[in-house]
Parts: sequence; structure tokens; C-alpha cells
Amino acid sequence: MMKKATRRAFMKGTGGAGTLFAMGGMAPHFLVGTAEAVSKGKAAEEKGKGDHVLVVVQLSGGNDGLNTVVPVGDDVYHKNRFITRIRKESAIKIDDYHGFHPSLDGFGKLLDDGRLAVLQGVGYPNPNRSHFVSMDIWHSARPGASRRTTGWLGRYVDGTSGRRGKRNDVAGIHLGDSRQPLALAGTKVQTPSIQSLEGFKLHTSGDGKLKKAMETGAKVNRAGGSDLLTFMQRSTASAMGSSERIQEALKDYEPAVKYPNSRLGDQLKTVAQLIEAGMTTRIYYLTHGGFDTHANQAQTHAALLKQLGDAVSAFCFDMKKRGHDKRVALMSFSEFGRRVKENASRGTDHGAAAPLFMAGGAVKKGLIGKHPSMTDLDQGDLKFHTDFRKVYATVLDEWLGYDSRKVLGGGFGKVKVFA
Amino acid sequence: MATQKSKVSAKEAWGVREEGKDWKFDRRMAAHLYRRAGFGATSEALDAAVKMGMEKAVKGILNPGAGEGGVNLGAFEKETAELGAMAMNTGNVHNLGAWWLHRMLGTPDQLQEKLVLFWHGHFATSAAKVTNIRMMKQHDELLRKYAKGSFRKFVQAMSKDPAMLFWLDSTTNRKIRPNENYAREVMELFCLGEGNYTEKDIKEVARAFTGWEVRRKKFVFNKRQHDEGEKRILGKVGNFNGDDAVRIILDQKAGPRFIAKKLCRYFVAEEPELGDGVVEGLAKVIRKHDYEMGPVMERLLMSRVFYSGMSVGRRVKSPVEMAVGLLRSLRGSGSTTELDRALARLGQGLYYPPNVKGWDGGRTWINSSTLRGRANLVGKLLGEKGARFGMRRNRGLSRVAAGAGVDGAEGLVRWVYDLLLAVEPPGDVTKGLVKLAKGIKDGDERVRKVVHAVGTLPEFQLA
Repeated sequence: MMKKATRRAFMKGTGGAGTLFAMGGMAPHFLVGTAEAVSKGKAAEEKGKGDHVLVVVQLSGGNDGLNTVVPVGDDVYHKNRFITRIRKESAIKIDDYHGFHPSLDGFGKLLDDGRLAVLQGVGYPNPNRSHFVSMDIWHSARPGASRRTTGWLGRYVDGTSGRRGKRNDVAGIHLGDSRQPLALAGTKVQTPSIQSLEGFKLHTSGDGKLKKAMETGAKVNRAGGSDLLTFMQRSTASAMGSSERIQEALKDYEPAVKYPNSRLGDQLKTVAQLIEAGMTTRIYYLTHGGFDTHANQAQTHAALLKQLGDAVSAFCFDMKKRGHDKRVALMSFSEFGRRVKENASRGTDHGAAAPLFMAGGAVKKGLIGKHPSMTDLDQGDLKFHTDFRKVYATVLDEWLGYDSRKVLGGGFGKVKVFA
Repeated sequence: MATQKSKVSAKEAWGVREEGKDWKFDRRMAAHLYRRAGFGATSEALDAAVKMGMEKAVKGILNPGAGEGGVNLGAFEKETAELGAMAMNTGNVHNLGAWWLHRMLGTPDQLQEKLVLFWHGHFATSAAKVTNIRMMKQHDELLRKYAKGSFRKFVQAMSKDPAMLFWLDSTTNRKIRPNENYAREVMELFCLGEGNYTEKDIKEVARAFTGWEVRRKKFVFNKRQHDEGEKRILGKVGNFNGDDAVRIILDQKAGPRFIAKKLCRYFVAEEPELGDGVVEGLAKVIRKHDYEMGPVMERLLMSRVFYSGMSVGRRVKSPVEMAVGLLRSLRGSGSTTELDRALARLGQGLYYPPNVKGWDGGRTWINSSTLRGRANLVGKLLGEKGARFGMRRNRGLSRVAAGAGVDGAEGLVRWVYDLLLAVEPPGDVTKGLVKLAKGIKDGDERVRKVVHAVGTLPEFQLA
């Protein structure tokens, strides 16, 4: 027989009723806003070249691009989307032909303020309609490969390792508790996944003496030790230093704008705080899921887009007010769009080409590229005219300042997306 | 710190380390052995090991049931089997991770768990894709069955493992269109390494595996889909099936070398890695024992190179090694569910390896976020209410230390070093820790804070 105490301890954990080690999932107390004062934006420490930040918001499940940037001026659209369509009068007008989904007033505001680019018809040749495969293709940027083990951002992070300066802040961060996206997988550098700002705080039980001993332990030079020990000492010193820096910066942090009360809103606020704290991290990766709307699409899709538009616009305006928006760009994509014709369950099925969004103070405002033809289709799906790797190449070369050929294995041309 | 001969030649690397003027099996060396062959040992276990000597200590690690005064392995297995069934009933693979951590913390057979972890990283199959808890448990049982056994039989069984085949999209393999995924991985990642086969070999091995399928989560051989034609695999010609293919692959000279290199990295040194000549020496041992892992591990754990400066402190602790090692050394215990989650955040989710290549280890574990996470986890493990240290009536960290005869602030720091560090920190750091200890009156808090501080040192991350 198993000992009772053992069984109890184990059950206690697996049952989830109470756990002995409450190590995660706690609300980051110091985040709960207090002061009214707007911080003076003291953190934009590292201005100039090489300080650009890319925030990726992945829309998982296949976002219905046609109901996001809607061709409201096209009869073919209305005929194919008898039930799920967005009417012209309810859409947020972009021009006579295009309108945003009515939930995307956040995007409307960004467009009005000149901080949103909408790249139309983005995709890749021989589109795959499996979530898993298509997402892997977007992540790896290797459509033809039989095996995909690294991601485009992972390869970028690998390539810049050793060039991260003294701080050794991580080059990329994945915010979330789900499986880490393949996009961030490299062969050299492990990108961390973090759930909240709690992960940036070094706990010392509020004991100054303990903290002192830890700091001494990290700071003292390990001359004569192995290279591995030297590396470890530097990384430890940097980890403690950045914790300190972030705590300092957050002490009086108050978002310059109000963030919506949603998971994506919380996460983008966290990103804003890290940027404000002077982190030298270049890539933040977030996911916003639930876009696989095969049935009764209308309500779900509206709610998801509302969360997206509100959170992204709050983030962009927060960055603007803090003076970071010339160096922060946010990109949002999905693994595919959806069929032109709706299905019999008031929903839509897996499709191909779709719009991609780029937001921030440095983007070229407005629609980029034509809306894909509504009649010249590929197996009932919109045809792409802009290869997503062209967008990646532009981001790598022009935004992150890194030779895109090293990541993509070839040249793909550029899209004019940065002003 | 014990003196270690810093360099060992390839020729003498795998000979048995003998005590003498230049080397003694002291507490530090015993701690090194237990850190690598397992997850660390208590102060008392270190003393016992020193007393019995290195060879006996290694034999005890290899045959834990045979040792005197040890925990009863049979009873432990019975208890954890019950817990495993409970975890299975939840259907949640994360609870299987918690179950495994529970095993690591309590087992009298540490090497078994350490090897299972090694093979889990080698045949890296993730529940992120497999999702089904029964398939994952079956996979786990396979890892356990062959961990110390024949690698030949291991690979043959793995080639029929539903979780593995599902993971590598190889649940169907038809005669007219052979599926090359498993054929590629079995050579590239499991047995030979890149460059030791051709694309043509992959195609031929795939043909040998035709008809090997998974149906209703079980392996079946579909005779009608098996290609009965002649195949040419790595120079051998015949009507081979999958078992033949594995045999031919493992007959390659590159096979033992590939496994030797991985064992060296995992058990001896990550950085700098051992040279090719030294690795080849272990490959010879593997050849001699025809892939029987027990004798290979014995040779490794008794070897000169293992107890040299080429090995001690030359690895980075994985998150699991770091946390389980801390708890085991101090007789700590507690619920493992949250620990499993915390370890996933530090990059090592059990049953969730990052990709088919497994965990890269070494420096890739380390960045400013994971270091903070490690430091905080140490604090949590030590300080959370419900965390328990010591045995029965002797609960509490100060009793664990007192039981080991620890005396005074300096004695305490020394004692913690012995248990947790492979490399001695600089004098200034030690002074700081002694000062910290002196400022706190004798008791649990004093031990806790010293261990916490030591647990954030750069040296603590090394093994």
C-alpha cells in the first residue's frame, strides 16, 4: 500500500485544489495601476540604430481575411457571403471598395492616425490548408521543405547571438503559456516563454542582506575559471541587473492609455512595460487564438477582432505617447484566410491568401497592394500576390537591420511597408 | 576543492580511476558522481560513498537493489505504479510529468531515472503532438525498459512505438509510396548522425519499414503493404524488413561513435566537448559490449576522464537537474505538479521536448530570464509553505544540517558547497555568504537563506 501522506501530497497537486508550490499564475501585484502621473519616458535609453523592436501577434486558427478587410463594394462578395457578410453601411470605411469589420474601430483609429499598413493578398505558392502545416510554413518560412525544425525569427536570433551587448537581455520573448511557436525555434539560442512580468522579478524575500550576498555572488569576477563559468557569471550579473532595472522602471509605471481588459490587452501592456523599462529585447511574440470559425462565425469573429483592434491600438498609442513608436512595429498575420464562399453552418472553411497588418509610427499608412480578385480563384480561394517571405525580408533588412538572405536562404524582394 | 588532474589522454581516458597521491575519492568527487549518475545525494550518502570507495559506490548505483541499508526498490516501484495509474486517470500528460518528478525525488535507483531522461531527450517525442496519455505512458515504459539495456533492442522496439510513429507522421507506410520520415530520423537522430548515410539509403530503409503501421493507437504489421523486393541498405543487399534495417544501421561503425558522443556530452562534458579520440575510446567500449548500456555506464562512471578536470563543472545543469538535485541533496519533498509547470517555463517540460532533436543543453538553457526563473524557483522550493525537508520527526532544514554535523556559519557554507557546487566560488563570494550566515541566528531561516544565495550563484548552474 502506498503511504497515505504520499497519496495526499500527490493528489493535492494533481487535483489542482491546492498546490504546495504556488509558483506561477499569480497576479503581478505591482502591475495593478496606482499613480496618475505619466512617466517621463525615461527609458528610451538605447536610441538610434539597432534598437528597433518587432512585436508579432499571431492570429491562430485561420482568420477570415475577407471579413476583416471587407470588399464591401464587391457584389461577388455579398453573393458568396449571404449569411456571414458584413454590410457596407456597418463596415468602417477605408475607401469605396474596402471597409474594416465593424469591431475593428481600433484599426480605424490607427489608420486615421497614420499608423497602420494593410498588406493585401499575402500568402505563398501551393497553399496548404492544414492549420498545422500552414502555420509551420509561415513559422519556418520554408514552404517546400520536408522537415521544418527552425523558425525565421529563431534563425535571426541565432544569427545575432554574441552581438547582444553587455546586457545579454534575451533577443526574443514569447509571451504566453502555450507551446512555443516554431517561428522562435533556433539551434543555438533558447527563447524564453514568459507568462507575466512576475517572470522578470528576482525574489529576495525582501531581505536586503540576502540580496547583497546574491549580488556579490553574481558580480565577483571569475578570473581563472572556465569559459563556461565566465559566461555564467556574466549572464547572472546581467539577469540581476535587468531585474533591478525593470523593477525601477515599473515602480511608477502607468500606461499612457487605457488597455482593454483582455488577455491580448494584458500581454501587450506587458510588452509596453518591458520596452519602457529599457529592455534590449528585439522580438516579442504573442498569439491570439480561436479564429477557426467553421460554424456560427459572426459572434466569435466579432469578439476576436474587437479584442485585437482594441489591444493593438492601445499599444500603439501607448508607444506613441511614450516616444517609442518610431522604433516599435507590430505585425499581425494568420496561417491562412478562409474560403470565399461560406459553408452551410454559418461559418467559413480553410482558405488561402489573406491580409497582413503592420502597425506603428514608422509604417507607411494605408492599403498596400490590391485586394485579390474575387472571381479569379484557386480552388475557391483567393490567390496571393505577395509572398509572405517578401514581408519577412523587408522586416529583417529594413526594420531589424539583419541580412534577410541569411534567414530566408534567398532574396524575395521588398514591400514598401515602412515609411 | 579536490585536486583533479586537468588533462587525461585519449589512451588512458577510459581506464579505471585509482586512488593515489594525485587523486582521492572525497566528498566532492562523490557529489560529482551522484550529480551525473543521478540528481545529487544527501550529506550522509556522500559520507557513505567515501567510506566504501569509488568502485563500490558505482556498483551500488548500478545495482541499487543489491546495496545494504538502501531504500527498498520493490516497495518504491509498487507505490509509484499506483500513483502512475492515478495520473493516467486524469488524462492530462502534465500529471505524468509530475509523476515522473515524484519518481526522481524518491527513487533509490537514480541512474535509471537519469538514463530515462537522457533517452527521452534522445528519442524526443512530445505530447504536444501525441496528446494521448496512454501512448505517452507506453512510450515512457519503453524508455524505462531499455534505459540500461540493449540499445539494439531499444531501437527496434522504438521503431514500433505508436507515440514515436505518430510524432514523426509515420503511422502509415505504403508499398507504393514509402514514408521516409522515420527512415530518415532513425539514421540522422537516433543511430548514426548526419553524413553517415545517403539519401538513397533513406529511400531503401523506408521500403524496409513499409507495412509498419499504427491503427487504433497500436502497432500493426500490414503484410499486404510490405515491400518484399530486394533492398540495398548501407551496402548490404537483401529482402530486408524494419528489424533488419535497424540491425544493419547499428552495425555501422558510426553507430557506437554517435551514441558515445551523446553519452560523453550528457554524462562527462558539454564544454569543451571531449575530443574525437576520447569519444572513440568509449565507442570501442560500446562495440565490445554490443550496445549493452549497463557495462558501458559502469566503465564511464569509473573512468579517469570522468573524475578529471575535463569533466567536473563542465556541464550546465538542466532545469530538472537543478531543481531535483537541490531537493534530493537536502531531503526535500513536496507536490510536484507546480514544479513540473515551473520546469516547463525554464525550458524543460517533461514529455514535452521542444522538437525532434530534443533539448540542446549547455548554454542554450541560459539567458537572463531563465536565470531569474531558476533563482526564483530555488527560493520557492526552499520557502514555500508545505515544502518539507528532512525525515519524519527530524523536519526542517536546520535539522537536516545538524544531522550532518554542521557547525557554525563557515561550516554551514562549506557544507552547502559540498552538496550543491561542482566548482568552488571565489573567496570574496564565500566571505559574503559567511557574513550572511553570521547575521542570522541559528535555525531554519539561516540554512534556507544560505542555500537560497548559493542557489543563485553562477557555480550552482554548473555540474
